[in-house]
Amino acid sequence: MGATPGTTIHVFGPLRAYCAGASRLSVSAHTLRALLADLEQSEPDLYRNVCDETGTLRHHLNVFVNSDNVRDLDGVDTTLRPGDVVTFLPAVSGG
Amino acid sequence: MADRVVLTIGTRKGVFVAEAAKPRRRFVLRGPFGSGVPVYTTLIDTRGAPRLYASSCNPFFGMKLLRSTDLGKTFKETKSAPAFPKDDGRALANIWSLEVGDGRKELWCGVEPASLFRSHDGGDSWEIVPGISNHEHARKWQPGAGGLCLHTIVRDGGRVHLGISTGGHYLSEDGGQTYRASNQGVGAGFAPDPYPEFGQCVHKIARHEGAPGRLYMQNHGGWADWTGPGGPRPDIGVLRSDDSGRSWRSIARGLPSDFGFPIVVHPHDADIVYVMPLEPATRTCPGGAPAVWRSENGGGSWSRVASGLPKRQTYFTVQRDAMTIDRLESPALYFGTTTGQLWMGRDGGERFDCLFDSLPPIHNLKVAVV
Repeated sequence: MGATPGTTIHVFGPLRAYCAGASRLSVSAHTLRALLADLEQSEPDLYRNVCDETGTLRHHLNVFVNSDNVRDLDGVDTTLRPGDVVTFLPAVSGG
Repeated sequence: MADRVVLTIGTRKGVFVAEAAKPRRRFVLRGPFGSGVPVYTTLIDTRGAPRLYASSCNPFFGMKLLRSTDLGKTFKETKSAPAFPKDDGRALANIWSLEVGDGRKELWCGVEPASLFRSHDGGDSWEIVPGISNHEHARKWQPGAGGLCLHTIVRDGGRVHLGISTGGHYLSEDGGQTYRASNQGVGAGFAPDPYPEFGQCVHKIARHEGAPGRLYMQNHGGWADWTGPGGPRPDIGVLRSDDSGRSWRSIARGLPSDFGFPIVVHPHDADIVYVMPLEPATRTCPGGAPAVWRSENGGGSWSRVASGLPKRQTYFTVQRDAMTIDRLESPALYFGTTTGQLWMGRDGGERFDCLFDSLPPIHNLKVAVV
């Protein structure tokens, strides 16, 4: 039997410089909150791009679990299942 | 031998570096670095081999600090940017000011929300300065239109002057450990009390190394016609102190407007000071005709300096850190505009030429001869 698949983080291009160039990271976590806590320990430079000092997700960042924005799910308490793909993407804003 | 004039240009879309030989006939432009990201402050550190710094205020991924050790040919992120302690409850929203400290590698950094950080290793690690960041007034300061920012750090031996918008002028006389509000004579137009203890919207503070105790301030003016509680408060916008910032007096008489953002002192004469008056309501050039105003007697009187500048239909703003002056024998005054022009005024502003006319909106300008 193979290992239980974890959650995959798809790393947006400009953020790869903060995790040794990785385009994908694998994390075992049951919620987005737990995934972020794991990221804070395992990839602190990447974490600082995603969350501010208070641990809050950066305001102009959207987080998707598969195709769904976590704003439309349960936010950081969104449940993650084996095989899910989490993507951090900058919001469409600016000028 | 110092023979190159270097300008760092912080813009809404990254930092540019312009370089010229001393005669300043032709500037070569490099950049943008940190492309697409606003840069509100830069620093040219000439202690030892020159190092250039630029804040990179990324609205998506947070604040970074960029550093160049090759005169702006390349920039790399420092190992960290200022950050509040995790249990503080505040989060860094912007980096507004960088100044050199003691020794070869100490840096000071003012941020939004208004707080001060210090680095002892050239910007790779930072510690908060609690004397001002956790000051008893800090939670009562209010953001101005640009945010609640600590935008000015002026060091004068053991004294440190901070400009906070809107917090006012804070003075330390113990090398930057403890601070007190020091706003006697600094008016506020947006509160019933025209002279509160703190809460003024200071825009910029400048000093001359050869004039101990003297400071100049561009404050938030434009309140001569106010008819509400507290009455009108004319001429509160341009001020001078002769007692190391303990008290301030107006030197705005004679200006077309006491509203503006930058204030700059001539490097060789403490009596020569420059401001850029703006219409208080629109924050653009009065009558559509931009002009620097210069005093040659410490603010006793002012004269218009506009040779070479557009004469009409011009409505840019010059922001608080977007005017500076070099230190050559006959110094040039520089200012950058929100419409992306960079102007240079030779001979202390006697004749202006546009060096670059289509940059992104300019937030910050620094110059050094290296």
